Amino acid sequence: MKHKTNSNGLQVCTFIALICVLFMSAAHAETMQSNEAAASEVAAAPTPEAAASEVAATPEATAPEAPAVALSPFEERLQLCAGCHNPDGNSIIPENPRLAGLDKKYILIQLRDFKSGDRTNATMSAIIQMVDEKEFEDLAKYFSGQKRQISVSEKPELVEQGKQIFEEGVIGSAAPACMGCHGEDGSGDAKFPRLQGQNAQYVVNQLTNFKSGERANDAKGLMRAVAKRLNEQEMAAVAEYMSTLKEAE
Amino acid sequence: MKTILSTVIVLLFGLQAAVAEAADAYVPKVYGKKGYVWDEMTPERVQVLKQKGDPVNGKEAFRGCQGCHKSDAAGVREGVYPRLSGQHASVLIKQITEIRAGIRKNPKMLPFVQDPAISVQEIGDIAEYLSTLTSYRENGKGPEDLSAKGEKLFMTNKCYTCHGKHGEGNAEKSYPVVAAQHYGYLIREMNLIRTGVRGNSNPDMVKAISGFKQSDMDAVADYLSRLPDYRTVNATPNPALVVPESSSAAK
Ligand code: HEC
Ligand code: HEC
Ligand code: HEC
Ligand code: HEC
Repeated sequence: MKHKTNSNGLQVCTFIALICVLFMSAAHAETMQSNEAAASEVAAAPTPEAAASEVAATPEATAPEAPAVALSPFEERLQLCAGCHNPDGNSIIPENPRLAGLDKKYILIQLRDFKSGDRTNATMSAIIQMVDEKEFEDLAKYFSGQKRQISVSEKPELVEQGKQIFEEGVIGSAAPACMGCHGEDGSGDAKFPRLQGQNAQYVVNQLTNFKSGERANDAKGLMRAVAKRLNEQEMAAVAEYMSTLKEAE
Repeated sequence: MKTILSTVIVLLFGLQAAVAEAADAYVPKVYGKKGYVWDEMTPERVQVLKQKGDPVNGKEAFRGCQGCHKSDAAGVREGVYPRLSGQHASVLIKQITEIRAGIRKNPKMLPFVQDPAISVQEIGDIAEYLSTLTSYRENGKGPEDLSAKGEKLFMTNKCYTCHGKHGEGNAEKSYPVVAAQHYGYLIREMNLIRTGVRGNSNPDMVKAISGFKQSDMDAVADYLSRLPDYRTVNATPNPALVVPESSSAAK
């Protein structure tokens, strides 16, 4: 419910998406684990971090009217995605997924599903209309090649409960352990997407949507069957834990 | 009186229509209901048994089961999720197809084994893969060693005629391996089979176990849980498990 209102808000400003997003990034930047990408993303906003990273800021971000070098169509396209998912695919907006390190095939399927309407989300469904299907391959390749960043949690009790669910499942409701399908460190693959370091709010939104059936593009209904066995509290806990999950060496 | 009569007539017609509608769908024949045949060869089971299982494919398809049965297929010690590693392929196929058909009741697992979660081919692939798995963690055992009492009950009640003297079961007749299974699971299944709730009880086993008190089942479960993996028992070498290098020594 909460995320819907948010998405609708975003849809209204689809055409000024970048402006909207820069604004939101600034608001969220302090709560997130900082990385250079995030800092350069908020370069236009008057925050101390932004000022400090001015040197690192890309010319496009500071002066879009006069780019120093001409951008290729792909780079230009990437800027659209970067506004919401960050240039390196490690989105710092809680509702937006981190794309970095997702399997290429998985990303391709999601983009096609958004395009065809098999998966819907007010924001992403609107954005995908601006993107030609021919561009999907390169976008998927780019984001799958990025390194996934993880977050730091300030809710240790929630993390502890989430670890239990991730590794053992929930015995009472017979929810299987997430680890079984998504891998011991949540690094996933084409069939079972990477969950490690994923934004907690995004994960809760997906689990809620799988449970209600609003998202039903999971192959063979496996993820819907899992989500139906989780309550809101368990979703929040497992999402919090996964956002901090480190990749196995 | 008239209204009662007409209500009955209306109800009867309704019932008839419902029966006619369900006639074309496969109706599982459950233990205790008319028409139940133990070991029914359902069309799906026939199909699985006809094809050759591919263990490599099976390993991949088993990933969707690992959340409950764990990645080594040894289940959980408390016995909520049974150990599947080393079970006979024929038994696994019987159980999975009967669960899919609604003969054996297992609502917790159904969404993950029913069509399309796994295909008919994958049933055989998974069974082949699991039957060859040797690794297993320490299984759940009873709180105290009751194996002497348990062994006696197991032998005197002729349980061994089907499940084997080492709990090794019988692949040909689809009798399950019961050695080294989790204690909690063994107790639960004996109760479910005896009361018929499991849905696919073997009538002869029900007879054999009908005189058991709960304490008898506890003792048998404890005994079976303490038996070693049947494939490690020298008295019953399984030719399928003999590794090529040592085969000359075995001869
Ligand atoms: C205005 C913000 C916005 C823009 C711009 C945007 N996205 Fe998204 N994207 C989202 C949101 C929000 C979601 C989450 C949808 C949901 O909750 O179901 C999402 C989801 C996705 C997903 C699904 C990820 C997953 O883990 O399943 C992919 C892939 C994706 N976006 C790719 C892109 C690409 C490629 C671009 C650039 C062409 C892009 N997005 C531009 C907001 C945006
Ligand atoms: C039986 C296998 C299975 C198990 C167990 C499982 N998942 Fe999934 N999950 C899937 C599949 C398949 C998908 C991919 C859906 C798709 O392709 O759209 C998925 C997708 C997801 C997504 C969406 C990811 C994204 O980027 O949009 C989340 C979040 C998720 N799972 C969380 C969990 C959690 C939390 C658990 C444990 C409680 C769990 N999963 C257990 C099979 C599983
Ligand atoms: C949600 C958890 C869950 C998942 C996922 C799951 N199972 Fe199970 N499985 C169970 C439970 C619980 C039982 C025991 C049921 C009972 O007590 O009768 C069981 C029993 C079985 C049995 C019967 C074992 C015996 O000794 O009779 C087989 C075979 C089996 N599962 C195979 C599978 C396969 C193959 C998959 C994946 C395709 C799978 N299971 C996925 C929960 C699960
Ligand atoms: C006529 C053969 C037969 C006899 C005798 C028999 N069983 Fe069974 N038993 C079976 C079969 C077959 C199953 C599997 C259920 C099915 O598919 O019908 C089973 C299942 C079980 C299981 C559950 C195993 C699992 O993996 O789910 C236990 C425990 C068990 N038997 C114990 C006993 C005990 C104890 C006795 C003696 C009192 C006994 N059985 C006698 C045939 C037999």
